[in-house]
Amino acid sequence: MTRRKRMLAQLEEDIRDHIERETQDNIDRGMSSEEAHYAALRKFGNMTRVKEETREVWTITWLEQFMQDARYGARSLGRSPSLTIAAVLAIALGVGINVGIFSVLNGLALRLLPIPHAQEVLSISQILRFRGHGKRDIHDSAGYFSWSEYRDYRDHNSVFSGVAAYEPFVEATLAGGNARQVLGSAASCNYFDVLEEPPARGRGFAAADCSSAGANAVVVLSDSMWRTRFGANPAVIGKPIVLNRTAYTVIGIARPGFTGTEPFPSTFWVPVTMDKVLEPDQNRLANDNMSWLAMLGRTRPGVTLDQVHADLNVIAQRIDQQYPGRTTSLSIHTARFFSTPEERQFLIPASSVILAAFALVLLVACANVTNLLLARASVRQKEIALRLSLGAGRGRLVRQLLTESLLLSLAGGILGSLIACWSFVPLMRFVTTHLPGDFPPISVNVAPDLHVLVYALLLTICTGIAFGIVPALQCTRPDLNSSMKGDGASAVSRRKSGGVLLKALVGSQVAVCMVLLLAAGLLLRGLYYAQTVDPGFEIKGVVTTFLDLGRQGYDQPRATQFMAGFVDRLLGLPGVTEVAKAECAPLAHDFSADHFTLSGRSDQISIEYNHVTPSYFSLIGIPIVRGRNFTSTETHDAPGVIVTESTARRLWPGQDPLGQTLRESSGHERTVIGVARDAQVSHLGESTSNYLYYPFGPEDNARSYILVRYATGSGDLGKSIRTAAHSIDPNLSIDVTRLEDNLEAWRAPSRIVAGLSGALGALALLLCSIGVYGMVSYSVNRSVREIGIRLALGADKAGVLRHVLWQSMRPVLIGGAAGVILCAMVSGVLSSLMFGIGTHDPIAFVSVPCFLLGVAVLATLIPARRAMTVDPVVALRCE
Amino acid sequence: MSTKEQQERIELLQGTLDLLILRTLQLGPLHGHAIAKAIEFRSDEVFQVEQGSLYPALHRLIKRRWISVEEGTSENNRRAKFYALTAQGRRQLRVETSKWERLAAAIAQILRPVGQEER
Repeated sequence: MTRRKRMLAQLEEDIRDHIERETQDNIDRGMSSEEAHYAALRKFGNMTRVKEETREVWTITWLEQFMQDARYGARSLGRSPSLTIAAVLAIALGVGINVGIFSVLNGLALRLLPIPHAQEVLSISQILRFRGHGKRDIHDSAGYFSWSEYRDYRDHNSVFSGVAAYEPFVEATLAGGNARQVLGSAASCNYFDVLEEPPARGRGFAAADCSSAGANAVVVLSDSMWRTRFGANPAVIGKPIVLNRTAYTVIGIARPGFTGTEPFPSTFWVPVTMDKVLEPDQNRLANDNMSWLAMLGRTRPGVTLDQVHADLNVIAQRIDQQYPGRTTSLSIHTARFFSTPEERQFLIPASSVILAAFALVLLVACANVTNLLLARASVRQKEIALRLSLGAGRGRLVRQLLTESLLLSLAGGILGSLIACWSFVPLMRFVTTHLPGDFPPISVNVAPDLHVLVYALLLTICTGIAFGIVPALQCTRPDLNSSMKGDGASAVSRRKSGGVLLKALVGSQVAVCMVLLLAAGLLLRGLYYAQTVDPGFEIKGVVTTFLDLGRQGYDQPRATQFMAGFVDRLLGLPGVTEVAKAECAPLAHDFSADHFTLSGRSDQISIEYNHVTPSYFSLIGIPIVRGRNFTSTETHDAPGVIVTESTARRLWPGQDPLGQTLRESSGHERTVIGVARDAQVSHLGESTSNYLYYPFGPEDNARSYILVRYATGSGDLGKSIRTAAHSIDPNLSIDVTRLEDNLEAWRAPSRIVAGLSGALGALALLLCSIGVYGMVSYSVNRSVREIGIRLALGADKAGVLRHVLWQSMRPVLIGGAAGVILCAMVSGVLSSLMFGIGTHDPIAFVSVPCFLLGVAVLATLIPARRAMTVDPVVALRCE
Repeated sequence: MSTKEQQERIELLQGTLDLLILRTLQLGPLHGHAIAKAIEFRSDEVFQVEQGSLYPALHRLIKRRWISVEEGTSENNRRAKFYALTAQGRRQLRVETSKWERLAAAIAQILRPVGQEER
């Protein structure tokens, strides 16, 4: 553009110069100066046209042509508003869904951390390989570092201005009126400096806070913790709070919105050197072979990723020398939520599957628009043929038609993206708040950013080209003769191939739609089953209380003592009829399993187990069908176990299970003393997997569930249970829920997924019926003359209608069958993912295809009936 | 202008002006006015060149990189834009010249009076 401007300025100068010289020549020839000037101008000619022509030389023609095409396209789209609106809506739906899903994935995996200059912050993780036999202690992730390794990297690198380390996901009990578990981090003392996140109030950690292990009990609180727990009172700074029985002085409040660098928000930060005090059962600081610290480094200005790799690898090799046979490879990325290799390994395939499923919907939308455009192209055939015969290049015409479809897709894409950005933020909030209760809160920023914008733009352009290219090529085929003549006999060949293309499009659309609808149908059936299933035990009227005394600083004798007093108090509460203790509560998503061997067999059998007190069976209504129950004196040392009926049948078919023996992986021998009835106590919908019960021992008191059965109408039992616990230990964190609520955790995922896929299926159905309708009405319009002739020659109306119906239902039937087969193949995957889905659920597999066919027949019938009412004379004249 | 005058002057064919400019510049760099004068003079004023139409042609040639333009000083010490042939332009001139010669020969061939047709 600058060159164009320069050249045009030069032209002005040149023309002025030219006129001056010509005037001078004329004066030399003896004219008066005025006369000379006019003569020169005359001789020069039309100055405006000269400038115009020169300007044209320097215009970028493709841009001009594009603008011209765009204007022309907009005008011709405006001439058929109903088609334009239908196409724009179809694309908006398809693009909108995809952009929304992408923005969620973007928030999870692509977005930089919400801290200042986040692009400078690298996440470093390591993959350790051992030659021969190697051992490594792992807490949370194998990619994390030990305290000594962290200090090596921090002190010996030359590429970072600072390296911070932190232990994510530290659970602690915050004492106070309503004691409860909170999630926080233990961080190195340069944490807030490296992240450039100085606390909004008070101060961050100073180097002195980390000077000696266990000595500096200070804490920084998150803004939300400060607001919800301390009423945003600034005076809390300098005051102590109690975390896991130790008093910590609050030194700062983090910036609002800063919740650490993990997707699960951190509510507090303590110096990493306090780890032993916070979690007394561990001594991670002293263990040089323990992976437990995530590491983040802020690069110095101008340092490249290659330099970082080179520099840190030297340190890694030096550490490796202390461990013969060990090789470390470092994985270094710009820090994001989910940046460890394991997390990305899971996230990337999972997200591609999700995006692919949603791309299917976009595909349906594309096919629809292609249909609409193909239909319109036939109407425009004459216009295009005329232009081709007047010498328009085919490439130029294709470009013009593509510009038109790009305009459509841009309009649809913008509309869709706007809807997506507007609706996915509340939608995401809805999903995260409807997750099961024990699921930690998750902070995902789904607001659109540059990634989302680029994705939306690319998607829109690809969509425009995808749905525009086939019709554009189709209708610019240089077969001028037949189209100029109209729909005559010579156009038959073209008509046929166009029809096949159209039918293939409709068929594939129906197939995609069938897959989505069937999947939705299966999920809805699963949801219905989940809501109505009988777990096989008495789930109503039971309250469960989870107590992790070990984490709250109890040793085993004190825990046992606490439990004895607590159970006594519970039994004394009004309305309580029975109390039992168990290692895992039914359906609590808390499982234990071990490998066992049978006498006389070598293979290992995996069996889930639970430790329970004798009252457990009567409390949740599982009868002992053979043998005997445990006695209250039996503990872990007792050799007896109780197995379930189906376990007994599977392990000892045709034999008496009583007295049979099992060997644990530790070598202990166990004898079956009883058989309990099957019940879905571990996984909802599964009562026949291997399961056995051990007697409850004092060791289990440190972490157990207490089940309380109560008579109906016994008031707020939860409150009295908490009061009972706090009368023994006022700082105890205690969790009381109804046993029924455990069902919720199993139902929530299927409810969310069924809801989403149902919505998706409905969308697909909508798009698909538009497609079928469009196809049929188009082909009916094309054959109006044919129908007219048939009717004029005396064909009976029903016969013609049957013919039209059959013509258009054929691709629907073929596509539908393909969809059913495809879905039958993938339903196995679905049933393994979600509870309660049968692989070949007959109701779903019969009702959904019938439904879809019904919609297709309806979409066919309307235009077909309209064709019947055409007056033969009008039909014959209309060409 | 009289009718006679009009008949004697010939309007330039499309594209011919380009060839004439290239040919004129073969002798050396010139400014716009000088090019116009040279074409008029060398064709014995047969060509009726609207002087202005020279400029779009010049710019077209610059865009095709057949000629270049630079600042210079003219005979009477006035600053002006000088147009000069590039190496590419020199090659193009050869191509265009031979094309033109073939065209001219072919047209002459067709227009030559043939005995039978003459009355």
